[in-house]
Amino acid sequence: MKIRVFSLLLALAILLTGCNLLPDAGEQPREVSESSIWAMDTQMDLRLYGDTDGVVMAELTATLNRLDHTLSATAADSALTALNESGWTDDRDIVYLASNARKISEQTGGALDITLLPVSRLWGFTTGSYGVPAAADLEALRDRVGMDKLSLTDESVSVPAGTKLDFGALAKGYAADLCRARMEEAGLSGLLALGGNIQTVGTKPDGSDWIIGVQDPNDAGRYILTLRLTGSKAAVSSGDYQRYFVQDSVRYCHILDPETLAPVRGSLRSVTVVANEGLLADGLSTALYVLGREAGTELWRQRGNFEAVWIEDDGVVWVTPGLKDRIADGDCQVIEP
Amino acid sequence: MKTRYWVLLLGAVFLILAGLTALQYFGAKPAAQARVWADGELVRTLDLSEAGEYRIESAAGWNIVTVSGGRAAVTAASCPDGDCIRCGEKNTNPPIVCLPNRVSVQFSDSGDLDGVVR
Repeated sequence: MKIRVFSLLLALAILLTGCNLLPDAGEQPREVSESSIWAMDTQMDLRLYGDTDGVVMAELTATLNRLDHTLSATAADSALTALNESGWTDDRDIVYLASNARKISEQTGGALDITLLPVSRLWGFTTGSYGVPAAADLEALRDRVGMDKLSLTDESVSVPAGTKLDFGALAKGYAADLCRARMEEAGLSGLLALGGNIQTVGTKPDGSDWIIGVQDPNDAGRYILTLRLTGSKAAVSSGDYQRYFVQDSVRYCHILDPETLAPVRGSLRSVTVVANEGLLADGLSTALYVLGREAGTELWRQRGNFEAVWIEDDGVVWVTPGLKDRIADGDCQVIEP
Repeated sequence: MKTRYWVLLLGAVFLILAGLTALQYFGAKPAAQARVWADGELVRTLDLSEAGEYRIESAAGWNIVTVSGGRAAVTAASCPDGDCIRCGEKNTNPPIVCLPNRVSVQFSDSGDLDGVVR
């Protein structure tokens, strides 16, 4: 009897092992093309399945380079610099981004603000000359910042003198949306890693889920959990470990609170947003980091158009219920619906 | 006695095969190679079975990538924060990234991760 049971178990083990040992059994042929470029101050890795002639890869590279130049706040001849100096532009990428920035800002109670470039400069985040500025210098910038400074039409953006825009919280997400749309139009699947932003497109050739790690805020070389994503999804993180400086034993991160004009101080180490659109995920990850976990979960309950992972400074990980069954490895608490 | 022998043998074989299956499903496979990028260009492909030390130059600075014991690490760098050095020795993704110098070390065929959001 025991022999029969073990024989059965053995056959099962051989079956399981054998199925997986067969080289690429049942998989579609993979025509992988990979490319990396440096744009928007980060490395962008593009992996496309099925782009046999390289045409789409070339188009995506051109799109990313175009946006890199258009949206640069430092290049002297960029469209964004022209807006920040002249106060007006009809550049269609900028008009689209400014319009969506206003929407996300309104939806998040002003937690996303694209007018904080002068404040960021004062803290040294754009120059590398980090330091806590004088309170009076920060207050002097108050009348130059705020989303109410934007004047938008369907075809143009204008801002008053002294107000300067920065799309750092949205640009990579927007770029991912444009690339995803082109890939879907061409019938391609793939994965775009635009810096830390991940954009999955379509289905992997073997039909399995995309496995995406979420970085451990305490260790740049490790991930704290993995997510199984299906189809085209954007995953974007914002955290205090990405860009920061330490002064008098206090850590100052690059994400600024529009109310205080100071780096966000709270119990969050990072927020990761998963959404259907890259621009939304990008903007919301910044806004949710500013809001903190409680206000962020309330926003999720109200809107429900995204999923999120919050990592607290005590190491506790919170996820929205939609991700509960998508965690492939790692411990977490689930937010109450 | 004979029955007991067969039970033990079959049990041992089962455990070994079950372990192999678990490794296939859940284990992270160490990479055989590391690809080093600087300023968006692939500048070196390193065989992790061959120990060595490599100076990687980029427009913004330099990094020393050291390979030993099947792993790669950034052991010195001109960047101001040193985050790349703190990543330590690795042979699986996520990659080692030095943002200030625009240098990254990526591991090929390492485990089942498609990407890391960071």
